[in-house]
Amino acid sequence: MARSKVREGSPWTGLWAVVFKEMADHLTSARMLILQALTLITAVGTVYAAASNLRDTVAQDRFLLLRLFTTAQQPLPAFVGFLAFLVPLIAIALAFDAVNGEFNQHTMARLLAQPIYRDALLFGKFLAGLFTLALVLTTIWLLIVGMGLVGLGVPPGGEEVARSLWFLVLTVFYGGVWLALALVFSITFRQPATAALASIAVWLFFTVFWGIIVDLLAQFLRPVRIGLPSEYLAQGQLALMLSRLSPNTLYSEAILAMLNPAVRSLGFVLPIQLDGAILGAPLPLDQSLALIWPHFTGLVAVTILLFALGYTLFQRQEIRA
Amino acid sequence: MSWRNRVLALSVIVLLLFSLSTPVLAQEGDQQQNSEPLTIFTQYPAQEAAVGESVTFNLTLRGGASPQVVRLDLQNLPEGWTATFRGGGKVVRAAYVNPESTTSVDLRIELPKDVKADTYRFTVIAKGERERAEIPIELIVKEKLPPSLEFEIELPTLRGTTDTTFRYSATLRNRGDEDLSVNLLAEAPPDFQVLFKLTGQEVTSIPVPANGSKRLDIEAKAFVPVPVGTYPIKVTAQGGEAQAELALIAEVVGKSELSLTTPDGRLSGEAYAGEETSLKLVLRNNGTAPARNVELSASQPAGWSVEFDPKEVAEVPAGQQVEVTAKLRPSEKAIAGDYMVTLRARPEGGASQSAEFRITVRTSTLWGIVGVGLIAVAVLVVGLAVMRFGRR
Repeated sequence: MARSKVREGSPWTGLWAVVFKEMADHLTSARMLILQALTLITAVGTVYAAASNLRDTVAQDRFLLLRLFTTAQQPLPAFVGFLAFLVPLIAIALAFDAVNGEFNQHTMARLLAQPIYRDALLFGKFLAGLFTLALVLTTIWLLIVGMGLVGLGVPPGGEEVARSLWFLVLTVFYGGVWLALALVFSITFRQPATAALASIAVWLFFTVFWGIIVDLLAQFLRPVRIGLPSEYLAQGQLALMLSRLSPNTLYSEAILAMLNPAVRSLGFVLPIQLDGAILGAPLPLDQSLALIWPHFTGLVAVTILLFALGYTLFQRQEIRA
Repeated sequence: MSWRNRVLALSVIVLLLFSLSTPVLAQEGDQQQNSEPLTIFTQYPAQEAAVGESVTFNLTLRGGASPQVVRLDLQNLPEGWTATFRGGGKVVRAAYVNPESTTSVDLRIELPKDVKADTYRFTVIAKGERERAEIPIELIVKEKLPPSLEFEIELPTLRGTTDTTFRYSATLRNRGDEDLSVNLLAEAPPDFQVLFKLTGQEVTSIPVPANGSKRLDIEAKAFVPVPVGTYPIKVTAQGGEAQAELALIAEVVGKSELSLTTPDGRLSGEAYAGEETSLKLVLRNNGTAPARNVELSASQPAGWSVEFDPKEVAEVPAGQQVEVTAKLRPSEKAIAGDYMVTLRARPEGGASQSAEFRITVRTSTLWGIVGVGLIAVAVLVVGLAVMRFGRR
């Protein structure tokens, strides 16, 4: 019945209007201001500490700029460590009330009375979240590069900039996963608080509990009975594979390889594979990229699939209520 | 009376005898003291001497009738000889001789340089006022050995490459009776440096004692690569009038000097894990002799394979190069990054030359395409959802 109906016009009509309106809302909201300020303070604090540490300790390094992101100085962890849990929080904050908020304020019907398809509305909301996230992260990235220039006085090389840009893209898509997840929950639950709690619950599950579950599962599925090295290897490989189901693991492994060019492998390396290898030699960018390509494509694909799920749910929802 | 007279007469005779005998005795003692004649003597009247030397005889004068001036003279002194009498550190002609003591005079004879070896006799005459004494002196002049140097060497010809230090061990002998300070000189072809060493120390002049010898090390080394050939080295030792020469020969034979590199000199390359990559190598011979039967080998990381084409190069002529291809296959499981592979070339009877290659292993981009496919599938899902549910 619905199928026989020939739909007219582009589903993207009004997409950009939604995107710009949503972004304007996001960027002026108090919620965003708080989170942005938090991220900014973190960035300034960790990078300042890293820069002073680098000035004191590192004499020669081809990748000084990258060190800014990864150098930790007690008691502060490195900037990337903070980012791993700040980015999901920002992403969830951006999207947990995207759809149910409209219902609660009774603006959904009014919105859809405009010549805008539901497709464009959801796309617009998602893209606006992603763009806002990208904007925030790019600002911070520029701030860090600028602080690095001032603090270290060394202009970054081309490969360094390329690597740190890839790091930025990875971070945006890592945020994209949580953004899409929060969007799905905001469609599913009518109460924004429930949606927020559900998103936070998933985040907590992957951050805290997934590691424990993975260990238990690996010990259960690949028990070490005799103590052979191959048994330990099989268990370790299973644990690694399972832990990679978490976007947190994917993200931390990917940025590790991107920001530390000397990382040659993210999995288990047999000693025989290291025979004759020159340790500490940096990998070329494309090889580092090849190393994290599964991680990157995984993050992008999960983002898109979660959006597709949310889209399907939203399209099938009764919205006139 | 007659008995009394006889006794008296006898006593008178005895007395007379006594009185007579006393002056006789006294005169005899006087005559004994004064009668010792003037004598001249020396303890060693016959001496040997060498040509050019001077000889000293210690003469002693004694006796004489009374203290007198004794003139000293020589008789039959060979022509050209100089003789001087010395006493109290001065040249003297006469001496005052007190009969009661002895007087010492030295006779110093200087032999001319051209004197012949022979036995010469002459007489020293001491002429007093009334007396005269003589002493014959014999001087045997012997021919002195002229200074002469001699080299002795067991191995005057050495063979080596252009890098070799040719070490000759020679003995320098002084056959003369004089100590010599010997200067050492070497005449070597250009590009050769010759050093003289005595117990490890570098020397240019050495003392050689009379009838002694010194062991000398002569080191010759070419300081630039020299062509194959025979290089004579003349060593001269000069001390006073003596001179000795030594002819040494350094025979430089050719040597191959291989180097293993790539046509553009870059010792790095790229390879994909599990895929064969060929690496062009250049075997260059910078030496002076051809390198024969050069064997090529490699030490590679575990699981890698390196093959050479050809496996052995029959000959690399001097100053030329030969291209070789190395087929390198990293292990299937090699992780991306830099690895060290050592390639070696070993000529027959020579040291092996190695070159370390830094191989950057790349991993296949096949999985990248799979990743892109994954994203494409996700986009397709969105597209299908839009098709199915879109535009409400």
